[in-house]
Amino acid sequence: MRRAPGPARRSPRVYTIGLASALALVLWAAAAAAQVQLTITASMARGPATAAVTIIEFSDYQ
Amino acid sequence: MKEYDGRVRLVFKDRPLASHALARPAHEAARCAGALGKYWEYHDLLFEAQPAFARADLLAYAGEIGLDRAEFARCLDERRFAAEVEADVGQATALGILATPTLLVNGHLIQGAPPLDTFRAIIEQALRARR
Repeated sequence: MRRAPGPARRSPRVYTIGLASALALVLWAAAAAAQVQLTITASMARGPATAAVTIIEFSDYQ
Repeated sequence: MKEYDGRVRLVFKDRPLASHALARPAHEAARCAGALGKYWEYHDLLFEAQPAFARADLLAYAGEIGLDRAEFARCLDERRFAAEVEADVGQATALGILATPTLLVNGHLIQGAPPLDTFRAIIEQALRARR
């Protein structure tokens, strides 16, 4: 009697890759949320350093 | 800026896009102009003149705003501010900023250039939040 094929079993390697990707995603998200130290070049700033609102524009000239 | 005089500080940070071949020299040139005391004049000229950013163009703009062309050319050819531009790019990357313009208004990220009325509303809201 031929045994009916059981559910396909994933190899342990597939699970390992899946877990690594999930971990990388979590670490990336945490890094993105972490504070980034921004430097200000004095000649590239207008307005007082004590201003209530600071607008930082990341831009290209084109 | 004038209507918010004293209440708003505007900071420009370099984010040359890789798809724009002459972007980096333009950003470095603007910093050279800044070192010679005319960053914003040169910045405004670059936006008006885009995408003409060949070396000859960048030198011509320096002349237009009265910069010492020899000193400016030295700065540009030495790539004196390449590291500073790269540092800004690194900070943009760390923040996940891939498109321009991207604004941070008191730390809140706004992608793209909002219409003027929307921009005013954003500033007003930020000012109210600081009272």
